Amino acid sequence: MIALLALPLTLLTLQQPAGAGIPQRLAGRVSPALGSLVVELGTAASARGLPIDPLIEKAIEGIAKGVPAERVATAVRLVATQLDTAAAALREGGAVADTLEIAAGEFAITAGLSGSDITALARTGANAQALTVGLRVAGTLAALGVPPAEDIGLVSATLRSGESSADLLLLPAHVQSEVAKGVTPAQAAAGLARAAAAQGQHGPPPTHPQHAPAPLPPPHPPAPPHP
Amino acid sequence: MSGHDFHPLVKQLLDGDITLADLPSELRVEGEAALRLLAAVDRTEISMPAVTWRVMATLERRRRRFLPWLLAPALAIAAALVILLRPTAPAPTAALVTVRFVLVAPDAKQVSLAGTFNQWDAHVTPLVRTGATGVWTATLTLPAGQHQYAFVVDGVRWVPDPGAPAVDDGFGRRNSVLTL
Amino acid sequence: MRSGPQAADGEIVRAVLAGDRESYARLVERYRDRYARYAARMLGSADAAEDALQDAFVRAYDQLAQCKDPDNFIGWFFLILRNRCFAERRRNRTSASLEAANDVAADDRTDGGAESAERRRALQVALMELTPDQREVFVLKHVEGLSYTEIAERLSTSVPSLKMRMHRAYDTLRELLRDHT
Repeated sequence: MIALLALPLTLLTLQQPAGAGIPQRLAGRVSPALGSLVVELGTAASARGLPIDPLIEKAIEGIAKGVPAERVATAVRLVATQLDTAAAALREGGAVADTLEIAAGEFAITAGLSGSDITALARTGANAQALTVGLRVAGTLAALGVPPAEDIGLVSATLRSGESSADLLLLPAHVQSEVAKGVTPAQAAAGLARAAAAQGQHGPPPTHPQHAPAPLPPPHPPAPPHP
Repeated sequence: MSGHDFHPLVKQLLDGDITLADLPSELRVEGEAALRLLAAVDRTEISMPAVTWRVMATLERRRRRFLPWLLAPALAIAAALVILLRPTAPAPTAALVTVRFVLVAPDAKQVSLAGTFNQWDAHVTPLVRTGATGVWTATLTLPAGQHQYAFVVDGVRWVPDPGAPAVDDGFGRRNSVLTL
Repeated sequence: MRSGPQAADGEIVRAVLAGDRESYARLVERYRDRYARYAARMLGSADAAEDALQDAFVRAYDQLAQCKDPDNFIGWFFLILRNRCFAERRRNRTSASLEAANDVAADDRTDGGAESAERRRALQVALMELTPDQREVFVLKHVEGLSYTEIAERLSTSVPSLKMRMHRAYDTLRELLRDHT
């Protein structure tokens, strides 16, 4: 059973029955005030090209945890603000901010990083995919206790050295291993950053061949169905 | 109501070409019934977040010729252990990853997992107690991406994963982070 | 269209064709919800709609080189999705109706209560009894809110022929729903 959301996205809908638009997962469990707030913030966010899922997820989380509606509202508003901050920071760094990147940036901010940290990562010039993973990893490292400077230093160095997403994703595990041996998170990150920079000097590993979508044998243009 | 078709004017009403006021009085009742039918249309918008990763996972699966799995170094941290099974080839960001969640809670009667991947529902993902040592485990296959979660002990106590990175949940507690 | 510094569809399509497979996720993310409702109302269940959307996006990827107007990816994608929805005809009609009823019944309780939920459910079940063409014109007009002219353009057909389909649909619905007033 998949979860359904009902959102008043302005894309196609011309008519809305009264009370509609409240996300289905929240319906019946949310006070009208909170439901309206989520709808209002979601509509505004959507219009600005921001992802809506983080807002819905935070509301669902608060309700599931039995948190009073007002506190949930505060948390949802905070997510909206953080989404804006992340989007602005990405654009400031020259990135074309799509919804996945912005959501990743919002997570990084939740984890304690700042807009300028996000801008710094965007300035590495990494492509959208790598930057999205980089932001998630940066947030995760912050959540492990790596201070922002060492955190951004490590992730930037890794992005610049041309490592793949898989290697980026292993950084938190490497840091945890080192910390288990007794060094601080900052020291662990700094050590890994040096290693990444050294690799960068020798040049990035050869890029893996990318394959274009395979051309189809005789193309079938979509035909109108028969009545 | 009889089995007759709608009057042509009522059909124009349904099409939005005329209004109820434009109908002759003997058709008003039929017109109102017709509009009630339309009012029952479900216009709820639907969102399907899962489609993105499922599409990309399908595209990746078709490309891959073989799938060597590598057991990443196990993180032996005091109370919890998360094992990631990951391909050695550069992992596409839309892959599926199998993750094992573990909590040591000898006094618990029941432990479940709640997180972004199951709508924070504390009732749908129970952990299973293995043996008498109070080690609870669950294994899930999750899409690559960013996840937050916590354990729920005895249905009431929300406990972050001691071995995982943690962030503020905005409600005075901490959530554990899983970045795949 | 939403504003903001996002890459145009054409840019992403060209990038994907040049080998950047992962960027396709951005197109999917951008449009996955646009026709989710249409697919759900056409197929009678959200699960079937999710499968149809997934299949359609994969097929669109395969045929991406045949997309004549990359900046109008969405219009081209709609036709692929539409084909996929019409191909679903093999579904057992009874089970589709039941699923539709269950989907709508497990619904939001914030507008009108049990009675209107029952009406919604009954209408969705009745919709599944229409022919796919009739159901489609009904969904595009009364769920998606398009005008006859817009629908005619999309489906490359005429307004009079659409109205004829629709009016037959109205009569069938009336017959099926006569006990629901």
